[in-house]
Amino acid sequence: MTGLVETAPLRGGSGGTAARRLRPARVVGLLLLAALALFALAVPLLVEGSPTRQNLMQTLQAPGGGHLLGTDHLGRDMALRLAGAIRVSLGIALVTTAFGALLGVGLGILAGARGGLVDRLLSALADMVLALPGLLLVLLLVAIAPGAFWPLYLGISLVLWIEYFRMARAAAIRISASPAVEASRLLGFGPLYLLRRHYWPEIAPMILTVAAFGSATAILSVAALGFVNVGVRPPTPELGQMMIELLPYYYEAPLALALPILVVFLLVLSLNLIAGGKTR
Amino acid sequence: MKRTVPTLAAAVLAAVLALPSLPFSAAAEDRPLTVVAPWEIKGLDPAVTGYAFTRMEAAETFVEVDEEGLPIPALARSWEVSEEGRLWRFELRPEVRFHDGTPLTAEAVVQALTVAQGKPGVLDKAPIEAIEAEGDGHVVIRLSEPFSPLLAFLAHTSAQILAPASYAADGSVQEIIGTGPYRVTAVEPPQRLLLERFDDYWGEAPAIARTVFLAAGRGETRTLLAESGDAQIVFNLDPASVQRLARNESLEVVAVPLPRVVTLKVNAALEPLADPRARQALSLAIDRAGIAAALLRQPEVAATQLFPPGMGAWHDAALPPLTRDLDAAEALLAELGWQPGADGILEREGARFAVTLRTYPDRPELPLLATALEDQLREIGVEVTIAIGNSGDIPAGHQDGTLELGLIARNFSLVPDPLGTLLQDFGPEGGDWGAMNWSDEGLTNAMEALLGSADPAGAEAERRRITSVLQEDLPVIPVVWYLQTAAISRGLEGASVDPFERSYRLSRMRWAP
Amino acid sequence: MIAIAGYRLLQAGLVALMIGALTFVLVHSLPGDMAYRIAAGRYGYDLVDTAAAEAVRRELGLDQPAILAFGAWLWDLLRFELGVSLVSGVPVVEEIRHQLGHSVELALVAIFLSLLIGPPIGILAGLRPGSLFDRIVFLVSIGLRALPQFVIGLLLIYLVSVWAGLLPAAGHGGTRHGILPALTLALGLAAVSSRVARDATLAVTASAYYRFGRTKGLSPGETFRRHGLRNVSVPVLTYLGVQLVYLVEGVVVVETLFAWPGIGHALVHAIVARDVPMIQGTALVMGLMFVLLNAAVDLICHLIDPRRKEA
Repeated sequence: MTGLVETAPLRGGSGGTAARRLRPARVVGLLLLAALALFALAVPLLVEGSPTRQNLMQTLQAPGGGHLLGTDHLGRDMALRLAGAIRVSLGIALVTTAFGALLGVGLGILAGARGGLVDRLLSALADMVLALPGLLLVLLLVAIAPGAFWPLYLGISLVLWIEYFRMARAAAIRISASPAVEASRLLGFGPLYLLRRHYWPEIAPMILTVAAFGSATAILSVAALGFVNVGVRPPTPELGQMMIELLPYYYEAPLALALPILVVFLLVLSLNLIAGGKTR
Repeated sequence: MKRTVPTLAAAVLAAVLALPSLPFSAAAEDRPLTVVAPWEIKGLDPAVTGYAFTRMEAAETFVEVDEEGLPIPALARSWEVSEEGRLWRFELRPEVRFHDGTPLTAEAVVQALTVAQGKPGVLDKAPIEAIEAEGDGHVVIRLSEPFSPLLAFLAHTSAQILAPASYAADGSVQEIIGTGPYRVTAVEPPQRLLLERFDDYWGEAPAIARTVFLAAGRGETRTLLAESGDAQIVFNLDPASVQRLARNESLEVVAVPLPRVVTLKVNAALEPLADPRARQALSLAIDRAGIAAALLRQPEVAATQLFPPGMGAWHDAALPPLTRDLDAAEALLAELGWQPGADGILEREGARFAVTLRTYPDRPELPLLATALEDQLREIGVEVTIAIGNSGDIPAGHQDGTLELGLIARNFSLVPDPLGTLLQDFGPEGGDWGAMNWSDEGLTNAMEALLGSADPAGAEAERRRITSVLQEDLPVIPVVWYLQTAAISRGLEGASVDPFERSYRLSRMRWAP
Repeated sequence: MIAIAGYRLLQAGLVALMIGALTFVLVHSLPGDMAYRIAAGRYGYDLVDTAAAEAVRRELGLDQPAILAFGAWLWDLLRFELGVSLVSGVPVVEEIRHQLGHSVELALVAIFLSLLIGPPIGILAGLRPGSLFDRIVFLVSIGLRALPQFVIGLLLIYLVSVWAGLLPAAGHGGTRHGILPALTLALGLAAVSSRVARDATLAVTASAYYRFGRTKGLSPGETFRRHGLRNVSVPVLTYLGVQLVYLVEGVVVVETLFAWPGIGHALVHAIVARDVPMIQGTALVMGLMFVLLNAAVDLICHLIDPRRKEA
């Protein structure tokens, strides 16, 4: 059945499940992510003040003198803002990934295992949603409630679920055709058993890869939304918005601009590395 | 395969880099003067995009204004008023031609003005009863009541005079055929406008033959265009770039005060804001000096009153200036019964002092100022939620009463005489961009007196009354004034910036030898 | 082949319907008065006020109940009547024609550049797996995909335009203006296509038929040309289809950054100004373009890979 563009994931380099899990790239990615999360949690506990407290006499200061990473154009502490922004990004990534995964994996297994009309309908639905430019959907939703978080969650989840769907469906098709599942079916085991025993163990590890990519996409999408001026409401710190706000000052305070760019870079990089070093 | 690809890539790259780009391959004298500004071209309707055509001097208005905003003859050579200010008779300048060669006649003027009156703009707000042609060389405007700002209204870009051939049967504009020194050769919405010199212009022919208008929404983009030399005049520099551009030897950075002010529009019917003392408290909490110096990089724009010094007679140096005094602000609010709650936000009888501030991103400094204000107001215990939306949300919120606070950039010389705007903003019913649920009888009377008066001394007294009421009662709270900044290439001579933003004055410029 | 075309056609129709309905529903449930927003979009913040909004409301019949409006809109859609932009008054079809041309120009150049840069580098890396070159390419491509597109664009502007003065920074006026925006998009695309090409090359060179070619006595170059290229291009082109999402979304951001007058730029403005016909028009075009490009990719894959004819 053409329609969904099927690509078997190409494995290059080492083979074997165990070796893949412990690949250095993945470890580096996990460490990096952990470091960023630690930063996000620790800084507010260790540093005085709030990410929204301004000081117009101390704008765009270099690191030092009470501000670990300097201040931004409104005199707000950069370290605190970055910590807050990382929490926002990770929060969005978590929620959209969870929601997208739930929807996508569930429907994907259904489509792959059942086949037939159900599969055709769901696949067509996925194709159609894919044709809708994701950014458009999120833009329209954000326009309904400017500055709120739920449009971001909803819009990005709706964009992300397709990856899970495809992956789960392809796996489910393969698994359904396997002799083990046939045997189980013949022995009279019900769908829940099949799910738990056959489908889930195979699909679960793949979710991680898709989740990592999905999170990266979510973070980049929110940053892009900030760029076209439909991001979260100020003064909430968010990486894309920080970049846009600090952009005009790139000449006199390049560090201030570089910091959120660096953080996005490291966040997305770590997620890509965790996903096994495949880019998408 | 391995060898052909790099070779192919190199060949393509070389070919592409060798392609001449339009501005650079033309002869030096022939090169077009490129002007960059943030405002996009949305169509051909003067009510919508008129400013582009008058600023680039393709179309002209019936009356122009001078450096002080006083009316001077343009397409109307002279005028006289009679019947106690209700009848205006204009004499047309003779021997004027439109870009399509047809002559400027009274009929053409009447048609243009009538079409303009039927569309949203400024003419529909003047009490005009009839516009008629009198012979070939005179136009008569009959008013239902005296209206001294009429000349200023006629100088507004939406009232530009276009040839009859410009209009379709339904009044929509098909082509821009004006009378100005430059003629439109191409309109490429939303970004470009191309013009060339019109040889039959009634005034002095411009030195520069071709001009281009380019719209660039982002400040950084405009700065880059100035630095790279792709544009010779760039307007609305963002504050961060100004210092850097000023150090650039091939550019000159100028700043011109504008009659535009950033104000906080207040809904005076809202519980917490009804008492003028509450509004004064808000005003006392604003760190105007900090905002002006740190955010706008122009310390002189910190507003001390509503009207900036550039507005001449309307700026009253004797008024006690607006200042920042947190203690006084807190005292005023305590007087009104507000007490700080557990999280620092004021409470009174179970209600929190929490308001929503609406603003729009069309002017990039507004969201930034809103963010700064949010923190400054929090210091005295007022909780502000920022809502950045469309500029239409402000008048909409005014009409349905949902607006609480609005941060706006008000142009007081929408028409060169601010009285026109003041009438709209501070009349008995308030205005979409002015007072909301507030009015003052003394102020209304003073404005009406000004409308009909011709006596300068009396006018002075009325103006003082208006400004002092506005300063004390603060139906709108001034935040900062505006300085228009522009980067002008030193390769241009005779460049100047119009404080009324009506014209880019390209016709007066020439290339430096 | 007919099956492919038929399927894509059906998909296009469903897409059009879905986008149309979605934009209609979403925009009509947006908070804020439509008349005011449209008036603000048209006349600007200095002139927008109640009188202007009322004029707009009358002109556009905005006080009709939603059901009637939906019915009327549906009928218009069926007749390909996309209406007139509420802000500029120009027919949507005309506006889109201008902008679409610019966006397609940008997209095609970006795809071309990415195919020029990505796969060759990927193939080279795949032919030397594990080498320093391979690792560097890996890092660079992963790095490029970790940067938001506008950051890539800004870096390019700064390096090429301001520092080196080679190309204009923004705007639209000649071929030179289009290079930086296209390159911004191309680099992101190339990052992925190089990885795909690398992995595909690895798989192909490790395969039996490839090794057989070498055993037969063909030189490395010939082996690659005969047996490698076509097999590598299938996944590369397939992945290109997947990447079109990145391209279409990137167009929105890049056009805003470089002041390129295309569909993405128009879409953002239309959303802010609540210009419903324009939103619908641009969204439709973007969606249909996506379907079309996917169909093209399907077709090319079909032509290159005879095995698919059986599928």
